[in-house]
Amino acid sequence: MGAIRLINLRKDYGKENVIPNLNLDIVDGSFTVLVGPSGCGKSTTLRMIAGLEKPTGGQILIDGVDVANMAPGKRDLAMVFQNYALYPTMTVRRNIEFGLINKKVPKAKRDNLIDDVCEIVGLTPYLDRKPANLSGGQRQRVALARAMVKEPKVFLMDEPLSNLDAKLRASMRVELIELHKRLKTTFIYVTHDQTEAMSMGDVIVLMNKGIIMQQSSPKDMYHNPENTFAAQFIGTPPMNIVDSLVPGISIGFRPEKVAFAGDGSAALVLNGTIVTKEQLGAEYNYSVATAEGKIMVKSEDDQEPGACRLFVRPEHLFAFDREGKRTGMSEAILARLPRV
Amino acid sequence: MTRQPAPAAAPGKWSTRLHTLLGWLKGYVLIAPAIVLLCIFTIYPIFWQIHSSLYDGSLLSKTRNFVGLQNFRNLLSNPDFGQTVGNTVFYSVGVVIITIILSTLAAVWLNGKVQRRLNSLTLAAIFTPHIISLVSVTTIFLWLLDPQIGAINYLLKSVGLPTCPFLASSKTAMFALVLMMVWKGTGYYTLLTVAALQGVPKDIYEAASIDDTPGWRVFFQITLPMISPTLFFSTIVCTINSFQVFEPVNLMTLGGPANSTNTLVFQIYSDAFKYLKLGQASAEGVVLLAFVLILTIIYFAFLGKKVHYQ
Repeated sequence: MGAIRLINLRKDYGKENVIPNLNLDIVDGSFTVLVGPSGCGKSTTLRMIAGLEKPTGGQILIDGVDVANMAPGKRDLAMVFQNYALYPTMTVRRNIEFGLINKKVPKAKRDNLIDDVCEIVGLTPYLDRKPANLSGGQRQRVALARAMVKEPKVFLMDEPLSNLDAKLRASMRVELIELHKRLKTTFIYVTHDQTEAMSMGDVIVLMNKGIIMQQSSPKDMYHNPENTFAAQFIGTPPMNIVDSLVPGISIGFRPEKVAFAGDGSAALVLNGTIVTKEQLGAEYNYSVATAEGKIMVKSEDDQEPGACRLFVRPEHLFAFDREGKRTGMSEAILARLPRV
Repeated sequence: MTRQPAPAAAPGKWSTRLHTLLGWLKGYVLIAPAIVLLCIFTIYPIFWQIHSSLYDGSLLSKTRNFVGLQNFRNLLSNPDFGQTVGNTVFYSVGVVIITIILSTLAAVWLNGKVQRRLNSLTLAAIFTPHIISLVSVTTIFLWLLDPQIGAINYLLKSVGLPTCPFLASSKTAMFALVLMMVWKGTGYYTLLTVAALQGVPKDIYEAASIDDTPGWRVFFQITLPMISPTLFFSTIVCTINSFQVFEPVNLMTLGGPANSTNTLVFQIYSDAFKYLKLGQASAEGVVLLAFVLILTIIYFAFLGKKVHYQ
């Protein structure tokens, strides 16, 4: 079991309030990703769950027990750090064994557990090496093995892949997803990388300035943003938000849903000029200057720089109120959009 | 494909060789000043000392006779010299062990979560003795340790404890010297150790706390191994310095009472410049050199293996 509930959680650093009032339910066995820009409080939240930071107020329940004042080692969780935090003076085996010795697990059982875990993460040939003699990916595996061997209720991961190169990061991402499927334990994963969040999480918790902006599945996060922050955080380039079309309403549409050609079904048509063009591979990113401001377009169409027309279909349009909260798209709003 | 021009035969080879030679020479030219100074002031005196230990005679006599190992035989047969070596070892062991343990404990405490201002104040306070000249320190301590009018005995008396003769008794004089030098040296090694402790990444301690590690295990299995290079360095430097102790003996006790604080370097100094027995003094110098050398080798052989380098 590993269900976590944060109730009215608050954190101040001196006079500065980092997290005003956080309420969050993390379902047992889920892969929950806390994502947001740096300084949004995601790491602080994770570290409070771990017990490395003391909350200023509120409760942290793990399986119904308030652990807010419990020592980190007594909470039955494991953590993987951004810089791995391996014990540099110990061999891989000692690193993995260290927590088990503290738990007074007998030697024979320790050896069995270490053998099993190292088999899973592929560390068996490196057991007698020191961390300094391992590559980044191997160190990451040691950190994972050290967490796994404790068989904790909850795995906490604080940007564990950010020190790896892009290729390795992609493959470790898949391995972590597989690991979660195999262990069926609660994973709480902190990242600032929206791609990581979208690809790994069952549940994404998007945070900004200590406040949860949206908590939903990756699919909903993309297709049903609850506010302009969520709409613009997820997706590259971020969603276009145009304020000047309808009074009191901001219109949003994703760059990849804009077409250079359209039939009568388009609800929004804009004239513009292509300013820049980036080749991404199969796709291009265009920056288009229009009367309503700069619009980003992501398309497979190979357009020449110069004048162009942009078409967006009604189902790809989002409406937000002045506070940036999502509101319903109505016929009245659609009727006011230009279709020249 | 274009063909590479064939390498020119003999002249090309010669120029390459010359180039290599010049590169090789350049390195030696660059380190030459250091080598020359090292040879004049370190290597040559060592050999001169070994050579001189095989002769008798004084700094003043014109002729010196080869006596083989006679100087060393004299040392072996002289019970006072045995005591001098014993004193030196006692002093060094005392100073090294107490200084290293005290400075490590002080450093761990100063690196903890005590108030920052208080910490830097404390660190400055225990570092200050290191920058006071040894002559001033000995003068202060001669007064503090005076059996009749000294402040320490006054304090002991005022709380009803028995007084101590300190430097006036052969039983306590060496202890007094050890304590004084520990007082003087601890701050320096504390500062080194604090710097080492601050270099230990915080997240290792966080990982240890999540691993539910008891405090003593954190200290012995994480902190100590992490700062072991600094502790190793401190131990070696402190040992070498202690074996060469001279000033406090010369300024405070002149080796007495009853030879109880005589140390190797003070003996060398006395023999060479007071009794003008240069050969004898050189032989003692060779003994000191051998001691320090053997100790350093032992340190590297046994402790060195336990030291963790990044």
